[in-house]
Amino acid sequence: MLKTILIASAALAALGVIAASMLALAARKFHVEVDPRVEAVASALPGANCGACGNPSCFAVAESIVGGTLPVTACTAGGKSVAEAIASLMGADSCDMVAVISARHCGGGTNAARVYAYAGVQSCNAVSKLAGGSLACSAGCFGYGDCVRACPFDALELDDRGLPVVDIPKCTGCGICVRECPRGQISLLELVPDCAPVVVRCNAHDKPKARKATCSMCCIACKKCEKECPEDAIHVVDLLAVVDYSKCTGCGTCVRVCPQNCIDVYASASTDADGTGNREVLVLTVGE
Amino acid sequence: MMPISHFLLLFVGAALINNILLTRFIGLCPFFGISNNMGTALGMSAAVVFVMMMASTTTWLVWKFLLFPLQLGEFLYIPAFILIIAALVQFVEMYVKKYSPALYRAMGIYLPLITTNCAVLAAATEVAKPGFFKMAMPYGYTLGEALVYALGVSVGFGFALLTFTALRERLDIAPVPRFLKGSPMSFITAGLLSLAYVGLAGWFGL
Repeated sequence: MLKTILIASAALAALGVIAASMLALAARKFHVEVDPRVEAVASALPGANCGACGNPSCFAVAESIVGGTLPVTACTAGGKSVAEAIASLMGADSCDMVAVISARHCGGGTNAARVYAYAGVQSCNAVSKLAGGSLACSAGCFGYGDCVRACPFDALELDDRGLPVVDIPKCTGCGICVRECPRGQISLLELVPDCAPVVVRCNAHDKPKARKATCSMCCIACKKCEKECPEDAIHVVDLLAVVDYSKCTGCGTCVRVCPQNCIDVYASASTDADGTGNREVLVLTVGE
Repeated sequence: MMPISHFLLLFVGAALINNILLTRFIGLCPFFGISNNMGTALGMSAAVVFVMMMASTTTWLVWKFLLFPLQLGEFLYIPAFILIIAALVQFVEMYVKKYSPALYRAMGIYLPLITTNCAVLAAATEVAKPGFFKMAMPYGYTLGEALVYALGVSVGFGFALLTFTALRERLDIAPVPRFLKGSPMSFITAGLLSLAYVGLAGWFGL
């Protein structure tokens, strides 16, 4: 019995030693020089291999960053601090990351006309499949709150008009509500920069007259905002006011001049970037 | 000298009739894990064929010249084979990285992944240990038989994986009811696919 144990241990130990020495030899003989930056970038990454960025491992991300196929901001989970560390390793001075949040482009709610009374499953996705939905407006919010139920961060709730309201500090910009919304693809819900000062509460491109008949809150493409904006940041495109957030300074002129009250003050400057923590989600540009 | 039909039967038996994924349910993690994309499935299949052949040859030699003569095979085969396969895969990975970077990029991530894949261990054990599986010869395999058997198992693995991947790629764009989308549909598909393979059971007495 003892003899068997000894032989077994010895045999396994011998196998182990042989394998180990073979590997040690191979490690030296088949050594491949790697770019030292890969190691450096890999150690700057969180190393959790969480897969949030869509790559198999942090090391693979490091290789792609050094190889130039991924931007220095590739790490979704690491956020701004990691991106800055990698940017300095890669020789880029700074990196601009812009966080995004969800915004609703509709102010209709109870002000919007319905074409039929819906009494089925209380779900936007369900009602949208019945003759295009109960709303007279072809682009407005149904208000059954599919986005509210889908939000994993409790950042949405329905207000008294039946419209989802974004709790900006809670919103991470994950975009799940946009995917869940049956009209997300036509940008009823849309991701905007988290410092977006104003939001146009309309999403329809129908003729203004027809639109006004279906909803008392809609954009009527009067171009008052476009004319009054001191920064040239809002334009009526395809019969709908659209804000260019790269130019908008948040002066609030458009909000004041809109005859339909269709432009709302949105995220104020105080809620952006650092105040809200881990929100650096969407990658925009890398400074040289 | 064995007739060629003997090797042919061995191959068909290992690849189709006793398919390691669909009739014996060994190595199911990669079967579900990487069967959503034809490119990665092909890479994995190639890596499995490669590693299974190498691992089976090595375990056959270790059994024949170490474990069997010392009468350790009955209880030491799993740790010994795991050790061998792990070291071997590491070694092969280093070698491929040095001498064939293109091949390394193609199957780089899959090589370490299948280091301790149960399908590899199963095939390597079956060829080495007589009587471990019903297809084993009573006298144990010769080296030639072992190689053909390992090739059969790994080709069967690749064939089943690629079939399943093709099905899943089509299912992605098919109008599947929402509550079945994703994993549930994959499991149902795998079950039906398995049923088809089980239908081959008993052919040629294998």
